[in-house]
Amino acid sequence: MFYRLLDWIDRIIPFARAQAHCDIPCGIYDPITAQIAALTVVRMMDLMKDLDSKAEISKLDYHNSMSRYIAVKEEHAEKAKHEVRVIWGDYFKAQHLDKFPQTNELVHKIMELGSKVRQTTDRQIGEQFVEAVNEFAQIFWETKGIATKRAKAPYAPALELVYPLL
Amino acid sequence: MSPEIREGDFVVISKIPFLIDFCVGDSIVFHHPQYGTLIKRIEKLDDQRQLFWVGGIHPDSLDSHKIGPVRENQIYGKVIWHIRRS
Repeated sequence: MFYRLLDWIDRIIPFARAQAHCDIPCGIYDPITAQIAALTVVRMMDLMKDLDSKAEISKLDYHNSMSRYIAVKEEHAEKAKHEVRVIWGDYFKAQHLDKFPQTNELVHKIMELGSKVRQTTDRQIGEQFVEAVNEFAQIFWETKGIATKRAKAPYAPALELVYPLL
Repeated sequence: MSPEIREGDFVVISKIPFLIDFCVGDSIVFHHPQYGTLIKRIEKLDDQRQLFWVGGIHPDSLDSHKIGPVRENQIYGKVIWHIRRS
């Protein structure tokens, strides 16, 4: 009864709003988006190398495809960095960082590698980027008490990813 | 989403200073410069009762680990009545 009365008053003279939670969506964090983005970077490096080895392609088509691969590589390197930053900034709390003190250094390494993969076509750097994001994913799942496994991604470039055992 | 206070619930807060005795476990409504008006539960307070560490019931809820302690002058009031939607 009180609720109905207050609801009726609220429609006429709206009350002040307070948020009981602050992140939308609250608590939904998953490093898989960062891992896939990092994997995409390596895929683009591979496609760039393949394209470069093609002799019969026209100059116009070459530049068209190459610019698209570069754009996607840039975008996904930044996306992986962004996703890691969000989890690190919004999900990780002091107790997580106390338990996994290597996290801050690892996140910084991911930021550096994420910039480096944009500046280079060196696949090894791309692989290091994927691996660093994997390490971050492993720590993330460990904070939740969820075991992980490593398996090759079922698509090119088929590098190993860390998956939660759910 | 806090399982205690849900979207659409109403709360009545007391703004009368001498009637408010803040304790751990109380819910308070306060202003945060970044997040606006928030409602959170007191988890800890200092001896002078000027700094309040707050948290939510949900383990992923934003709390004082992220937003820092709440100062007394940020507090609008203490929840004295919670009217649930259903």
